[in-house]
This record gives sequence, structure tokens and C-alpha cells, in this order.
Amino acid sequence: MGIDRSSFGKRQLRRLAFLANVVVACVLLAWVAVPRAEPRVFPERIPVRFWHMWSGEWKIVIDKIVMRFNASQNRYEVVALSVPGGSADQKFLMAVTGGDPPDVMAQWNQVIPAWAESGLLVPLDTLMQPAEWAELQRSAYPVALKIGSYAGHLYGLTTGINVFACYYRPEHLEAVGAQAFPDSLEGLMALADRLTRFDDAHRITRMGFMPAGFNMYAPIFGGGFFMDGRLSLNTPRNLRALTFLSESRQKYGFENVLKFESSLNTGGFATEWPFISGQYSVAVDGQWRVEQLAKYAPELRYQTAPIPAPQGGKPLAGFSNGNFMIIPKGARQVAGAYEFIKFWSGVDNPERAAEFYTWGGWLPLSPRITMTAPYQAYVRKYPQFETFLNMLSSENIQPTPPVPFQVLLTDRIIRAEEGAIRGSGSPLQAISTLEADVAREIARRKRFGL
Amino acid sequence: MKRSYLGYWFISPWLVGFLALTVLPFFISIYLSFCRYDVVSPPVFIGVQNYAELFSNDPLFWKSLQNTLLYAVFAVPLGIATAFGLALLLNLELRGMSVYRTLFFLPHIVPTVATSVVFMWILNPQIGLMNSVLGLVGVAGPAWLSDPRWAMRTLILMSLWGVGGSVITYLAGLKDIPISLYEAARSDGAGAFARALHITLPMMTPVIFFNLIMGIIGAFQYFTQAYIMTQGGPQDSTLFYALYLFYRSWRYLDMGYASAMAWILFVVVTLTTLVVFKTHRKWVHYGD
Repeated sequence: MGIDRSSFGKRQLRRLAFLANVVVACVLLAWVAVPRAEPRVFPERIPVRFWHMWSGEWKIVIDKIVMRFNASQNRYEVVALSVPGGSADQKFLMAVTGGDPPDVMAQWNQVIPAWAESGLLVPLDTLMQPAEWAELQRSAYPVALKIGSYAGHLYGLTTGINVFACYYRPEHLEAVGAQAFPDSLEGLMALADRLTRFDDAHRITRMGFMPAGFNMYAPIFGGGFFMDGRLSLNTPRNLRALTFLSESRQKYGFENVLKFESSLNTGGFATEWPFISGQYSVAVDGQWRVEQLAKYAPELRYQTAPIPAPQGGKPLAGFSNGNFMIIPKGARQVAGAYEFIKFWSGVDNPERAAEFYTWGGWLPLSPRITMTAPYQAYVRKYPQFETFLNMLSSENIQPTPPVPFQVLLTDRIIRAEEGAIRGSGSPLQAISTLEADVAREIARRKRFGL
Repeated sequence: MKRSYLGYWFISPWLVGFLALTVLPFFISIYLSFCRYDVVSPPVFIGVQNYAELFSNDPLFWKSLQNTLLYAVFAVPLGIATAFGLALLLNLELRGMSVYRTLFFLPHIVPTVATSVVFMWILNPQIGLMNSVLGLVGVAGPAWLSDPRWAMRTLILMSLWGVGGSVITYLAGLKDIPISLYEAARSDGAGAFARALHITLPMMTPVIFFNLIMGIIGAFQYFTQAYIMTQGGPQDSTLFYALYLFYRSWRYLDMGYASAMAWILFVVVTLTTLVVFKTHRKWVHYGD
């Protein structure tokens, strides 16, 4: 059966014409509805294409920084593009593979070791003058360099370090007669018991404090996952940390804690933080919450303190990550990209960059920025921020180990913690499994010639 | 001949897309499954190492395969039974039946992502609707998605939410059964149960067979709900095969390894489908 042209009468033609009109109307509608790229402000300048993953309130801050850079320039224009965080890494990889990468990208995912190993990133230290590099090494906070380094090179320059400390509600502490924030982890756990509230069905309605994060507590217990240049997973101190995390839940009942945590509204919005609604009396979180609390809960009374060390543990310890800037291999405007990185991070002008750090509530790259007048004014305005600054210089702050299988390692560490804190296995079993999983991956990589 | 050229010309946009974006990657992935490939560097041929690694040295591969099989074994028959049962009810001649049919079909056209997000709230152990309702009758509901003992069962039960699509096919099948068969059975003295067992069920076997095949293929490719609601957790209890494949490819940049996984999945699905096809002559009736 084919198309019989003779059967095409006027009626069919009218129908076809109608359909064609509908298609044309749809195409026109789509053309109007699809947003077009904003026109460039300085089309005569060299464009530096900048990708980042911020959106909403954060994007406004980033746009302000970009505007400042563009206003300070007559050679380059940074053209910013907010890429959805969930697929940013894939888009970046596709862009690099396709030979059309951005010139610079702001990242916070665990990408440096893997991407550096694959030769995707430009070592930033090779773009610096020797004196500039030496000065950065001398002056930067140790953790800032650790976050961006791999195999002896600096691939990412931090524009905001994250460290984590306790936020606590003084009125909750006062209500149970606590005079001050405890100076030991054991004291904090005892206080947490007094702060925790239950309903008639023995369900938790307010959690005094619940420690979480194996990567956070391993350094606090004097351990960590990367010692003397190599992975160290199954160590007595790490085991002690994992046991502590497990036992902290066990005393309230694994399922009870699980149900409480599942009930918390932990969406992406700043106002959804359970600490604000009083569901936690003491909560561990990053320094950016200071800025958010000032903006969204200005009436809230709160204080900050480092997570206290347990007996035999280390003070001012914990996990750290951050935002860092990378330049992909194949970028067309490497010089322009580096110019922008310097401008934002404050390598060449700490005074100017200090303001940017305060806009986002970010911790700076080096004490040179911390000591500037704008930054000091910010700390005076938000004294709670000082806790985080004091932690920055600590050698006990540890980022994720710089191994090329960083993402897999993090997944396995989370899995080990999950196993221990749910009570489905002992902490020793969990840490042994973690060690075996990672050893298997290392062996596999060797076999594959990686 | 000219007419067929015209046809090809009309379908050429789809044809080009199909060849370039489906057929070509399909064949390239065979080669990649024998390579070490991280997307950004050129693939390096490593023989059967990816396959050897998967079978002998990757507990998560087996775990994800086991999870997927478990899901298929329970979700597919449960889905068939529920959809068939609903279709029987919706086939009754009652007032307002078209409204009920619409209501049962609606969930099928709601996007999976939206459904998943809504279910995350419904199944919230402390403030969710499900446990609140159970609480009214004195039952303390579990942590549906956060408890490793419950997460898989929850996803299996949740799969029933979208049975509306199959219900429509069963309804169409039921409408297709000649009335004369029932009349003849009735005149021979057959009761309602006997009619259902000896007429309805055999006449519906082609539709059941179709839904079984589609269900098996769908179960082996189960991804979206697990990706959104549990990310494979807690403790890998909902780490489905397709989800692990995705993690391996885009999270760990192990494209060669993931390609090998994809081909194993292809073989498993093909073999399972073939086995079901082999048996269908014994239980599917085409009315001839």
C-alpha cells in the first residue's frame, strides 16, 4: 500500500495546510520562548569563558565579582555561565574532549587528582613567576594548597576554603544549666544527652548533638586517611573515630536516630537548615552559615566553637574542602583566565579580593587577606566567624586524600560509616571492608596500567 | 521504488539520528568494553580484563545484579497481577467507570521524577503521610527508604504506582474477548470463576506475555527512582545494575568498564527474554 496521489483531494490539502501552520506556529513559539544568550558588554575585548556551578543567591555574588573584574580591565571580558551542578563535570569533560572547553572553571567537586592525572588541567604554578609561586607557598594557609595540589603541582587555586565547626544555641544550653560550651568531646556528648528531647512515643523531637562524618572525626581522633604521603585507612585512631560515631547513635537507638534525621528538612535553601528551626541544639556546619544566618535568621542567638577534641585526640581538627579555580588544557585564553583567578583569589592584591570573600562568607586563601581592613571589619561584624579563621592555620585540618580515585574513595568511606552507624556490622568490620575495597581498587588500577 | 525512496526521505531525520546516536554507539561500545577508557584519553585495548574484573573481583557488580534480579522477580509478577486485577474491576459495567479508568491511568503519565519526589515525602518515616496513617491504627511504620531492610521492598511496592499503563492494555484485551465464548460457557453451566479461569485468563495470555516481556526489560533498566530517592543506598540495598553502571561511567570515569557492564546486561536481558519466548507456546493462547 503506497500513497495514492489521486486520492489527495482539497480536503486533505486543507488538512495538510492546517498541520503545516500548526508546526510553523510551534516553531515560532519555541523561538520566542527559548532564552537567548545575553549580549556581551565589552564585545571589543578578548572573551574569557568562565563556568561555575552557583545558582540563586550565590550566582548574584559571582556576577558581582565578574562585573568587578570586567570593570577593572580593558583587555579581557569574563563571560560567566552557570552550569547545573549535577551535570557540570560531565559537561566539562565533554567540552574538553570536544576541543572547546571553557577558559576557566570554578569547582568544588573532587576532581583535581583524576583530571590532573588524565592531563586535563593546566598546572597553575607553571603560570606563575617563580617569586610569585614561592610567596604563595610561603603565605597561603596549608589547607588551601593541599586542596588544589596533586603530584607536586598546583592545579586549583582556592577562592574559598570551607572548614567546619559547631554552631550552638546558647538558650538551649542555659535551659539545661550549662555554663559554657564543653572543651572536650566527651563533655559535649554528655551535654547532648541533656539537650535531647523526646515525645511521648519516645521519638526524638530535638537532637542535642549527633556527630556525623567519618572524614570529619578521623582527624579529630588523631587519625586521618592520608599520612606520610600514603593512604592510611585501617588504623586504631580511625577505628576509634568510627566506633565513637556508631556508639553515639546506638545509645538513642539506630532506628530512632534514623527516623529523626529522615524527618529533617534538608533541602538546598539556607532557611531549611534544621539548626534554625531548633531541631538541633548543636550542629556542625561550614562557615558560610554565618552569612546565611545573618541574612535569613538575623534574630537567632547562636555561637560557634571548634569541635572539641576527645581525650588523646587533636584540637582544631576536622575535614576541609573548598571552591577552587581550574584552567583546562585546551583553553584559548589561559593568560586571561589566570588574570581572573588572581583577581578573585587575591594573589596579587589581597586588599581588593578581601571584599569578594566577605560577599560569600568564604575563608580566604592566605592570612594576607585575613589581615586586610575589609576582612577584619567583616569578622568584627560577625564575631562567630573567628572560630573558623582560627581553625584555618591548623595542621590538623585534612582534605580528601589526593589520590586519582578520590570519588570512589569518598564513596567507600561513606559506605563504611553507613555500615557502622546503622548497626548492621561492627565498626571493625566496616573499616576492614573499607580497607579491602580500596586495596582491591588499587590492585585493579595497577593491573590496568593506571 | 520511487515511492519507497520518498518514504525514506520523510523518515530521514529520525533515521540519521537513530544511526548516529543509537546504532553507532551500540557497536562502538563493543570495542570500548575491551578497552581502558576514561572519556578524555584515547581508549587503550586491554582484552577481556574488564570482563574478568567484573566477574572475579567486583562485589558491587554482583550485588547490583542480585538487587536487580530481586526487583524483577517480585516487581514484575506483582505488577502483572495488580494491573490485571484492576483491569478486571475497571471492566465492570458501572456508572462513572470512565472516571475510574482515567484516575487509574493518570499516575502513569506523571513524570517519574515528580512522582519520586512526592513519594519521598509520603514515605518520610517521622512526618510522612504513610506512617501517619499507619500510626492511626497503632502501627509504627518503618524508615521506608532509609532502612536497608525496607528500601528494596518500598521500591517494589512503589512500582505499582505506575501500573495504569498496563491496565489500559489489559482492558483493551478484555474488550477483545468475544462475548459468544462467555455465552456458550454460561449455557454449558460454567460459573463466574470457571469462566474467568477457562476463558478470560487464556484469552488474556498474549497481553500478559507482552507485559511480562516489557516488565522484564524495564526491571533490568530500573534507574530513575533509585537515583533520585536512594542513590543506591542505604548500604547498597538499592544499588541497581543500571545505577552502578552509571556511577562507573560518569562518576568514576570508567567508560570501558561500564561498556562491559552494558554488554553483560544486554546478554542477560536477551537470554531472559529468549527463555520467556521459548516457553510462551506452552501457555500463551492466540485463539487459533
